[in-house]
Amino acid sequence: MRAVSKSKNHSIVRKSLRRTIFFVILILLAGSSFEPYNQAQLALVLILFIGVLSVTLLTGISGQLSLGQGALMAVGGYCMALLMTNQGYSLWVAIPLAIVGSALAGLLLGVSAARLTGPYLAGTTLVIALAIPTLANRFMSVLKGDEGLPVDVGYPPTWFVNLFGEPSYEEWQLYVALPFAAIALFFASNILLSRTGRMWRAIRDNETAASLSGVNFSRQKIFVFVVSATFAGLSGALYGLRGLVGPSVYPVSLSLLLLTAAVLGGIRSIFGAFIGTVIVVFLPDWIDAVLHSFELSEQVSNFLPALVSSLLLILTVVINPAGVAGTHLHKHKHK
Amino acid sequence: MDTFLAALFSGTSRGAIYALVALGLVIVWRGAGILNYAQMGQAMFSTYIASTMIINGNSYWLAFVVAIAVGAVMGVLLDILVMRPLSNKKKTELLSSESMRAAIPVIASLGILGVLQALAGIIWAAEERGFPAPYAQEGFTVAGNVMPFTSFDVFVITVVLTTLALTTLFFKKTGVGLAMRATALNSEVARLSGIRTNFTRSLSWAFSGAASSLAGLLITPTSNLSPNTLDLVLIIGFTAAVVGGLDSPAGAVIGGFLVGMVISFVSFYDTPEDVFLAILAVLILVLIIRPRGILGAKDARRV
Amino acid sequence: MLEVKNLVTSFGSVVALDGVSFTAQESKITTVIGANGAGKSTLLRTISGLEHAASGSITWSGKSVLGMRAEDIVRGGIAHVPEGHAVISELSVEENISMGSLFRRRKFKADVAAAQDEVFELFPRLKERRKQLAGTLSGGERQMLAISRALVSRPKLLLLDEPSLGLAPLVVEQIIDSINILCRTTGLTVLLVEQNANTALGVADHGVLLSLGKVVADRPAAELRADSNLRAAYLGY
Repeated sequence: MRAVSKSKNHSIVRKSLRRTIFFVILILLAGSSFEPYNQAQLALVLILFIGVLSVTLLTGISGQLSLGQGALMAVGGYCMALLMTNQGYSLWVAIPLAIVGSALAGLLLGVSAARLTGPYLAGTTLVIALAIPTLANRFMSVLKGDEGLPVDVGYPPTWFVNLFGEPSYEEWQLYVALPFAAIALFFASNILLSRTGRMWRAIRDNETAASLSGVNFSRQKIFVFVVSATFAGLSGALYGLRGLVGPSVYPVSLSLLLLTAAVLGGIRSIFGAFIGTVIVVFLPDWIDAVLHSFELSEQVSNFLPALVSSLLLILTVVINPAGVAGTHLHKHKHK
Repeated sequence: MDTFLAALFSGTSRGAIYALVALGLVIVWRGAGILNYAQMGQAMFSTYIASTMIINGNSYWLAFVVAIAVGAVMGVLLDILVMRPLSNKKKTELLSSESMRAAIPVIASLGILGVLQALAGIIWAAEERGFPAPYAQEGFTVAGNVMPFTSFDVFVITVVLTTLALTTLFFKKTGVGLAMRATALNSEVARLSGIRTNFTRSLSWAFSGAASSLAGLLITPTSNLSPNTLDLVLIIGFTAAVVGGLDSPAGAVIGGFLVGMVISFVSFYDTPEDVFLAILAVLILVLIIRPRGILGAKDARRV
Repeated sequence: MLEVKNLVTSFGSVVALDGVSFTAQESKITTVIGANGAGKSTLLRTISGLEHAASGSITWSGKSVLGMRAEDIVRGGIAHVPEGHAVISELSVEENISMGSLFRRRKFKADVAAAQDEVFELFPRLKERRKQLAGTLSGGERQMLAISRALVSRPKLLLLDEPSLGLAPLVVEQIIDSINILCRTTGLTVLLVEQNANTALGVADHGVLLSLGKVVADRPAAELRADSNLRAAYLGY
């Protein structure tokens, strides 16, 4: 029975569209006023934002804690890289195919993880995340081990240059990342507002009650993993586009980075995901700005951002688990 | 035959260490209901301290004792500074959801792990170090053949088995042990018996911290010390605990030896690169076939 | 003497205790009766420190216990046997009993052993099963065990929450009799919460009738027992 009328669907789409357009405009404005370094940072924010969204959807909305999103990013990255280097596909074909690949990986993960909860799920996904470097070494011939697969992002197409002039390297990164980020935002917003989002929240809030009210639990759980994996895979592909796909590009700390960003910004909202990503990406720069008058040894400055973000994570969880965006949340009708 | 023996011995001595790690995880799980991902971070940190002491000329044994003490203290600090405030939080909207309540301590412990690794980087520049073993690491020579079993292996197994025996005795025979078990099983009844449950919970953390530091000290000689080496050990310990049953200390031990054997045989008969995949396979198998683990209680506490 | 004054305990927006005041005399059995949901268990849990009162006062022997931690209240001589799962199934009978006297071991070592002997005398069935796991005991035995655990802490005030719940009448009689004897011989003050008002009023000296968080009657037990109007209105018989 179609519980949601067509007009409700339309209004959801319209709302998401509005948000997406607003987002795109915001980014374009920021991008044009930034200097190249920050433009590149902004591009990185957009790329990781998609990955953080995968955490928001999986953990914040649906309550499944996965520490292996970095591994799913790697799947996307490797798919794309293999298709581009071995098969010679252009990136506009490789990326969608990489998304499909990650969806499959998500399906696999979902099927095995559907029965797991809490620490078991977290631990298992952590093992999977740690397994990536090994796989790369195991199948050296194809996956090229530690070295990885170099990826060439290519040049902006001529029609683009004719229309907009030749973009700088950083600007091009931004222009490649933006449409994908916008699409991701649109779909995420749709899901959150829709009946699917409600079901996922039901699973999160009270697994027992949800199953009693007839929600087809494990099927939805698997679906969550698939959707989340597609976001992660896209993010991973774009992440690899920056030049290299290899184990060093997708370490365990990447999974933790995504999780930190999601929690810091607010694990339950898209807005939170974005804020969190901004924090996590720009934190090293901010720390630098604050401390650059102090003479810090390289040792300290290398690890200070990690220290600060881990401390922030602990503080957030202990003091305000809802994150930066969380406090604004009860203004909205839905959770 | 040689390979088999080598694998067997190696499996036993590594298994003993994994048993220790798993035990630490189980103690905190039973005592505080939390899976402590920071555990090996604590171990790494205390092993670095020990290493620094040794480099500065102190005896191995002094460093050994200090490291274990540091591990215990860190455990208590973790409990008091992070875990207790966490569990005291009033129920906000976020915390009313089951899965978030379960996820938050995990995220907190990951944060702690991050802090410890970053601190290790800041203090010791994340430099990889060797770590000495107190006993020879060459195999015994028997009848002209070198056995794949070293005196260090003997040391490890002795230490672990002794620790396990002492721990079991402690829990079974002493008042404090009873108090800790009671707190873990039903903290309300424990409180109504006059047991200071906050204190006993911190004790669980201290124990677990000491056990994991011990494991770190025992395992580092055969690998290298860097902020990330012990991540692998945590995963193995986790798998061992799951295999044996998260709420069973005896299960942790069995799980540890089992996983140690699996790793050892895979290493010797296949290639070390497959070890990780083997662990993953074991983990998934157990979770699918017998999620409560070998000795886990059937209606184990809700995760 | 236990003095409760204007005690208010709430859970979110639900007010479970709405200004409860009464006194429980020393060495007497005071019973708290009332329908389900009247707040009887909440009252005991607030006294023993498991729940926090929003306002009011609780004084025992002149000292205020409001706001103290549950484990410290126990150490101060108030023992609470909660309803339902008051024993730890995975521990043995002996261990369950020992739990209650752990905090006394340092100062009163000899008495700890004496206390255990006394409860075994009171409940010989427990002595037979001392090594068995508590989970294997029958309902009545588990209740005896829970009471034993409380008794070995040598309380001056015993809070009993629905000891008769789910038990056969014969067993209930045995347990209530033991409590009665204990009170009369040792001077233990007992606060007994009971669903089964008739049984409770039969053994108590004083009765407090709670309804929806408020004290409706506070009289000698014999009077309450005789007041058929009150009984019909609040207790349904």
